[in-house]
Amino acid sequence: LFAFLLTLFPAGRGTPGKLVGLAAAVVGAAVLGGCTPSKAKQPVPGDADAGVSTITRHACGSCHQIPGVQAANGLVGPPLGGVAARVYLAGHLLNTPDNMLLWLRNPQAVFPGNAMPDMGLSDKEARDVAAYLYTLR
Amino acid sequence: MQRSILSRRFIIGWAAGILSSAAVAIGLAVWMIFGGGFDASASKQHLRPVAWASHTAMRNWVKKQAKDVRPPESFTQAHVKAGAREYEQRCIACHGGPAVPRAKWASGMIPTPPYLIDTSRHWSAAELYVIVHDGIKMTAMPAWGELEPDDNLWNVVAFLEALPGMSSDEFARMRAEVSAPSPVNPGGGSDLVSSAPFTR
Repeated sequence: LFAFLLTLFPAGRGTPGKLVGLAAAVVGAAVLGGCTPSKAKQPVPGDADAGVSTITRHACGSCHQIPGVQAANGLVGPPLGGVAARVYLAGHLLNTPDNMLLWLRNPQAVFPGNAMPDMGLSDKEARDVAAYLYTLR
Repeated sequence: MQRSILSRRFIIGWAAGILSSAAVAIGLAVWMIFGGGFDASASKQHLRPVAWASHTAMRNWVKKQAKDVRPPESFTQAHVKAGAREYEQRCIACHGGPAVPRAKWASGMIPTPPYLIDTSRHWSAAELYVIVHDGIKMTAMPAWGELEPDDNLWNVVAFLEALPGMSSDEFARMRAEVSAPSPVNPGGGSDLVSSAPFTR
């Protein structure tokens, strides 16, 4: 965002341009600063945007309806809209961040033979997916 | 005489509009075809509008092709089991099953092959046959009609139709049955995935 603002107001065009650039930098910093506290409030330290591509890559949408993920219209497992506010995961685990990560990484260890396969998500992938799922209120 | 709507200025403006639109379109096409502007990788998704357009085009193409396809009157358990054997050998690596993950490398493909547990709730038997028979361009779905007799393809369709009515335990049992060494499949198991990840 900062770089984009700078390109709008290239420096070297005299003092007014520089002032505008400076103002843009201040605004940019303020916006970035504003983002940081909300990230700290996330229940899981992950990258929600990366989570969307991990969800796509692992075909989660062929079994779940997932708002914001293309062609995620599966009818096998529960729809994931509102999962951030749901009380139980898989009907048994309390919906805590730790349980979410456990379930995402190793569902067959939780309930052997349940329909959800172990997808082989790495720790980071699981955190990213959880970070996205916790945006679905 | 009244001033015509086709005044000189209008025609010049119109022509200029057409020409500049054409120039932009040609420029974009040249950039995409010759300038490396089209992302042909399997590591990133299409842009959203491109993904939507190609997926919708694929769906409508399948529906149109399926109009001329006559599925068998009914499928028997023998068809389902024969289809399970095909599925075990040719499909499970990319498409997985209830409680059974895809092969690790399937997540390296975008568009990524879907799990098919509910696929018969989304597609008719004729449509599934078209997809299995002809494959899907620019995905990794092969045209199995080039490789296998029609009966085998219909068996796979029978299996896909039975899949939503099958528990993961039943699926596991059927896998074990069709993986056992037989005259048809002396080695047993799939030629694509090394071992059954499902254990109880």
